[in-house]
Amino acid sequence: MPELKILLPNLMKRLPEFWKACGDTLLMEVWAGSIVFVFGLIFGIILTVTKPGGIMENKTIYQVLDKIINLFRSIPFIILLTALMPLSRFIMGTAIYVRGVIVPLVFGATPFFSRQIESALAQTDKGLVEAALSMGSSPFEVIFRVYLRESLAPIIRAITITIISLLGLTAMAGAVGAGGLGDFAIRYGHDRNMIDITWITVIVLVLGVSIVQWLGEYLARKNTH
Amino acid sequence: MIELEHIVKNFNSDKNHKAVHAVNDVSLTINDGDIYGIIGFSGAGKSTLVRCINLLERPDSGSVKIDGVEMTKLKPKELYKARTKIGMIFQQFNLMPSRTVFQNVAYPLKGMTKEQIQKRVRELLNLVEISDKENSYPSELSGGQKQRVAIARALANDPTILLCDEATSALDPQTTTSILQLLKDLNKKLNLTIVVITHEMEVVKNICRKAAVMDAGKIIESGDVFTIFSTPQHPVTKNFVRTTSNLSKIETLIRDDSPMVKLKPGELMARLVYIHADVSEPLISYASRAFDVEINIILADVEIVAGSMVGGTVVIFNGDPEKINRAIEYYHSKNIRVEVIQDARA
Repeated sequence: MPELKILLPNLMKRLPEFWKACGDTLLMEVWAGSIVFVFGLIFGIILTVTKPGGIMENKTIYQVLDKIINLFRSIPFIILLTALMPLSRFIMGTAIYVRGVIVPLVFGATPFFSRQIESALAQTDKGLVEAALSMGSSPFEVIFRVYLRESLAPIIRAITITIISLLGLTAMAGAVGAGGLGDFAIRYGHDRNMIDITWITVIVLVLGVSIVQWLGEYLARKNTH
Repeated sequence: MIELEHIVKNFNSDKNHKAVHAVNDVSLTINDGDIYGIIGFSGAGKSTLVRCINLLERPDSGSVKIDGVEMTKLKPKELYKARTKIGMIFQQFNLMPSRTVFQNVAYPLKGMTKEQIQKRVRELLNLVEISDKENSYPSELSGGQKQRVAIARALANDPTILLCDEATSALDPQTTTSILQLLKDLNKKLNLTIVVITHEMEVVKNICRKAAVMDAGKIIESGDVFTIFSTPQHPVTKNFVRTTSNLSKIETLIRDDSPMVKLKPGELMARLVYIHADVSEPLISYASRAFDVEINIILADVEIVAGSMVGGTVVIFNGDPEKINRAIEYYHSKNIRVEVIQDARA
């Protein structure tokens, strides 16, 4: 395709590198996203049930978790990236490449996702919880059969928002040598003024975000009655 | 049998760290097969009290016994089991919106095969006459239909007790009547003990045999519904009884200065309230003839409560003051309460 070579001269020369950058970004999303999903869901549930008036009310657990989440949410991600490098080396064996940024990505996105889950679960009608308890459900049953099941749509929306915000973090992680699309755009598009690379990266990211958003909205709607 | 003894439940109000007595030393016994009403204005503590029966609210002190078992001493697992035998329905129905009618009713069923669950759910939906909505979602149902589904769900594990927390308060009068009729039928068919929490005297009048009136966390009056209706003792109870009777409209008429209730000199307006179950005697025409006074009926309202008649009339007496007094004495002797509203005789 000669037209593409004229239109996107720099990109076409670096196609393999571009595909690898896309792959790296996807890899970071999937790895960090999965871990964030598990931890965030657990923390979000713990916040919901231990908060004052919750079904397993526990002031100490709630206060500690609440404060830790606030602490990590208030640290700018770029600082978190550098501050967690030692921990990253300890856990993953390295502080660069995709492997090296999984830890800071998890620390950066989990507090956000926990809050998202907390507010998703908070939308569950208190009456449903009460009804379930009156029918003899245990607190754990209430978590799985009422909270998680009945707020499936808001949970899906929370996942959508978190995937998108995680994408922003992976781009930033590029700055400390993680690779991925962010790194690709900064290295060529910005540093060497290859404008076509910047544009293509933006287009790929917008497409990615749109697909995630559309899919999330579709699934959320399907689960709303 | 439900036995509540000296139940106390306080809530900490955040404003001034002063404990609020939601329920303040309440003792109550409800017999098997009864339909028991607990009536009170909002904030009287009745919702908290009923939640102390299935321990959705744990009382600060006091004893909750159901069929002789002390509920407050049960271990968590035993309590969950015990709760399956105490159904509860709510003002806002509390059906799970992401589940169909079938799935909602199946929610409390455990340890059963698919076929058994299907059979049981269909039985229950038949019982509350809503079989055709099996695959609908709650959002597609009317309020009355939702409450029927909620009743089916509450009865899934064959409870002996059904707690109704303002179960008809969100329904229109016609639907309320049909739900109350259903509860009455279930009470007979299943020998279900029903506890009805409400702020509507109509509901108590309609289905309860016994009732307690709650105010500020205490039971201020209790007994069989007819007695409460015919001879209310406490001002709050009187207030409630008045809300269901047309006889209270006279106060509004007087306040609005209606010409209907303007007394001429020498007239006396009074409310005659029947206390005894027998109002078949021609009391008005007899008194009119016997004492030679005119008795003009302004308002009349007689209702059937717990199978007996309750009510009275508002009348204007016109005639010789002495003769009016004798007519009033006659009514007293017939166990009719005479409340003088306005006197224009002197």
